[in-house]
Amino acid sequence: MDDWRLIDMRIEDASTQMAIDEAIAYARVSERNPNTIRLYRWNPSAVSVGYFQSILNEVDIDACKKFGFDIIRRITGGGAVFHDYNGEITYSLIAPDDDPKIPRDIVSSYKLICGCLIDGLKELGVESEFKPINDIIAGGRKISGNAQTRRYGVILQHGTVLVDCDVNKIFSVLKVSGVKISDKAIKSAEERVTSIRKYLGKDVSFEEGRNALIKGFENRLNIQLNPGELTDYEKTLVTQFKKKYQSNEWVYQR
Amino acid sequence: MKRIEYKVPDGKLVAAEAEAINGVLTKIKITGDFFMHPESTIKDLEDTLKGKQVAKLEKIINNFFDKSNIQLIGVSATDFLHVIKLSLADSS
Repeated sequence: MDDWRLIDMRIEDASTQMAIDEAIAYARVSERNPNTIRLYRWNPSAVSVGYFQSILNEVDIDACKKFGFDIIRRITGGGAVFHDYNGEITYSLIAPDDDPKIPRDIVSSYKLICGCLIDGLKELGVESEFKPINDIIAGGRKISGNAQTRRYGVILQHGTVLVDCDVNKIFSVLKVSGVKISDKAIKSAEERVTSIRKYLGKDVSFEEGRNALIKGFENRLNIQLNPGELTDYEKTLVTQFKKKYQSNEWVYQR
Repeated sequence: MKRIEYKVPDGKLVAAEAEAINGVLTKIKITGDFFMHPESTIKDLEDTLKGKQVAKLEKIINNFFDKSNIQLIGVSATDFLHVIKLSLADSS
């Protein structure tokens, strides 16, 4: 069984979270930092857009400012996500892209890593399944979205597991493509999204969610997760990458 | 310049804002929730297309993706061409 590092449930703002993910990936170029799973939450809540997305078409910037939410662009493709401090756990996985556990084929690697989340959700009693390309659904509704990049010789996949979902809040900050925000739009969106609490009809704590996800990663990947910290080099990189993620040049590039 | 969106069947959303003057592509921006590896290639694609004749876009796009080591997920070279043409048709 391989030992991987767990960076456990850090609560940080958007630029720090994205900088940590990229720093761990980048550090691998010049140091043997361990394969890593992170679990984290965003404070303040934030909206992230995919690398290729048009931010002005995806995000209601004024609404985010009004609520005090961060706005950030990811280095991964995929769609816009509302990271609700009170409603989701984000994970990331960073490992060399030639690691024997990780399929070289991108869609297969989504399936494997999403399998960890599916196993974790099952621990809680949520029956879910992988929906290619990069989603997990439970009861026909989306409960997790995922995105990955391959760079610096590593695979970096991050994604979100909904613990609770406030659909009104989601659609006050995200613009729905081609559909006017109306009661009707929200109702249909409500039918497309679910969360652990909504699915189970009971309160589930972040601690329970965290524990279940850790089990899912350990069992599916046959690894032992050992709590750890960032290396000094990674911390230096975080400071550097944060500047990029905070810059308008990066966030509003498209 | 209007942004035209296209949802790829069983794939992702891709959008284009394109403008042509006298049959030459003068402006192009491609956005969406698709995946392209490496990601920075999108800028190379836009730069490659700019200043080229619209009639030759298909060949240029196909060449671009044939020659390089680019992986597309949820979108294809054909989809890019399709949405660019839709955008040009709309703005002409």
